[in-house]
Amino acid sequence: MPLTRRGFALTAAAAAGFARPAHAQAEPIRIGWLATLTGPLSSPGIGFDRGVRWATEEINAKGGVNGRLIEVITRDTQGEPTKAVNATQEVISRHKVHAIWGPTNSGELLATSPIMARAKVPSLVAGVVNSLIDPDKYPNAFRVTPSNSQWDDAVRNYCMKVVKVKKVAITADATGYGTSAHDDSVAGFKKAGIEVVYSGVIDPAQPDVTPDILRMKNAGADALVSWTVSSGMAARQMNARAALNWDVPIVGHPAMGTGEIGKLVAKPENWDKVYIIGYKSCSFDDKGNLPAKTRAFVDSVKGKIKLDDTSLWWVASGVDGIRLIADAVAKTGSSDSDKIIGYWNTLKEWPGLYGNYSFTPREHNGFNGDDIVMQRANSQRDGAFALAPGYA
Amino acid sequence: MLAAILAAGLAVGATYALIGVTYNLMFSASRVMSFTAGQLGMLGGVFGALFIHRLGMPIIPGFILALAACALVGVVTEIVAVRPVLGSLEQHLYVLSTLGLALMIQQFTAIEWSTEPQPFPVLLGFDGGGPLDEKFWLPLVACVVTIAGLEFLYRRTLVGRAFLAIAEDNFAARALGLPERNLRMGSYALAGVVGGLAGFASGELLLAFFANGAMLNFFGFVPVALGGLGNNRGAIIGGIALGVFQQAANFLVGGVFASVAVFAVFIIVLLVRPQGLFGAPATRRV
Repeated sequence: MPLTRRGFALTAAAAAGFARPAHAQAEPIRIGWLATLTGPLSSPGIGFDRGVRWATEEINAKGGVNGRLIEVITRDTQGEPTKAVNATQEVISRHKVHAIWGPTNSGELLATSPIMARAKVPSLVAGVVNSLIDPDKYPNAFRVTPSNSQWDDAVRNYCMKVVKVKKVAITADATGYGTSAHDDSVAGFKKAGIEVVYSGVIDPAQPDVTPDILRMKNAGADALVSWTVSSGMAARQMNARAALNWDVPIVGHPAMGTGEIGKLVAKPENWDKVYIIGYKSCSFDDKGNLPAKTRAFVDSVKGKIKLDDTSLWWVASGVDGIRLIADAVAKTGSSDSDKIIGYWNTLKEWPGLYGNYSFTPREHNGFNGDDIVMQRANSQRDGAFALAPGYA
Repeated sequence: MLAAILAAGLAVGATYALIGVTYNLMFSASRVMSFTAGQLGMLGGVFGALFIHRLGMPIIPGFILALAACALVGVVTEIVAVRPVLGSLEQHLYVLSTLGLALMIQQFTAIEWSTEPQPFPVLLGFDGGGPLDEKFWLPLVACVVTIAGLEFLYRRTLVGRAFLAIAEDNFAARALGLPERNLRMGSYALAGVVGGLAGFASGELLLAFFANGAMLNFFGFVPVALGGLGNNRGAIIGGIALGVFQQAANFLVGGVFASVAVFAVFIIVLLVRPQGLFGAPATRRV
């Protein structure tokens, strides 16, 4: 048979095909990274993204995992569930990712979780809504941040054990998240035997909350529990508390610690006695020191990652997501979804930067509730906060 | 306790009232309900914070510039969203055109300014936080100044009377040789100034926030409907009553139930007096 140009090309293609197994070993580990990177909900996504990039570069600089580099396929979901659904389908069908990290908020996760479950893609969840985790419906989904009920427990325990409340006022903004957080919180306090003397959701655009705060004060509340992500509403609550000379702590959502609040409070001292949910790993102790592991991380990224305009835990959680996926591939020697999911199901106190994670086949809420603490809202430095009174 | 609720209620109410007047000024010149009224209020706060807080201008030039910018937005509204649809008023196309422009203003502000509320500077230094804080009485002062100014304009000046003439009977006014288009643009500029003043005076209360536009559109419309379309006196009384009632409801029932209470009263009033509390039933010679 004469050797034609076409015959040569076909032979060469076949030879390349036979060579594929050797090539596959160097196939990158593809991770779909879905985050809100632009738009009004982008602050957490930008923080997470810094951690994701840093961890990827760190692993790849050391030669990757078992010789395989990590390839992160980033998609900006802009905080919109429809865009998150499209991005999820794209990274699964077109890019054939081995695992997905994100999306990083509950609204998007509610829309994307069934798609990821159908494709059996190992997924790390960073949303607080309880129903996102269900080992029967979503055996592929593992939560690496606290759930709503863990946040709820942390706030309630702090109010009861440290503030020693007898009567509490509970409020939230009138959003989907706020309403559900408010209802859970009210139920939790009532179950614990604490008298809820005021409870209600408030429109975050309400121009003045003095009458609402006055109502809480007159009812004799010992603390105000606030579940708002609206900086305007949070600052108005703090200003009204000061104007009415009401000296009780405000305890609740981490959004009350963002720098935006500092610009909106009428006086800096209005921000005192506001305690927000935080994490042991990202808290300064009474001497102003971070835990050793976190300190080492902060020192190592100085000048490489900006930390003063974000929350340290977002960055740390971003790092942990990539490391959890890399570790699963390293330990099982495979990027098959069954192997990754099987490995995660065996984790016990896996030491991350942000927290320690434990999973079993029946429990996919991996974040240790004991790692949640309360912090002083006005103490932000390098993205971390000082512990609230009562922990020293 | 009563003082705190009254102070907050009067301040919020005065702001709603001024937005109601803004609606009326635009309506009387063109028979168009322009949904940019609330956005003008929002822009008053944003421009004030931009010029005085962010760019560091002195208060008076910053104030004048903010009102001038809002007047310009008013004129642009007339040219872009009102004039093209005047020919077919009965089809209510202005609802779409003015709502569309209002959304564009809102989104543009969100992108260029911020999606988070931004601080508005303390103007006079009375910022104790109590009922005598300037954030509570500045909107009231703005409201009184606006009422006095409009009374003077309409009763004592030729331009004001010309405004009244085109509001009363557009065709007859034109037949008399009044420059209807210029007067309409003047009315929209004036509406811009009043809306901007509402936002500027209540800036310390509402903060400079892009989403205030939608809220003011909504609550500014209530006094217009309560007081009777085109009736400034009705809008002022309706607005202040709404503010005080709303804050009292926040105290008495709290949370979202306060909004339910406000709109329950609103619906009852309109059922009893569809023409508004101060409006006269429309009569038509047949």
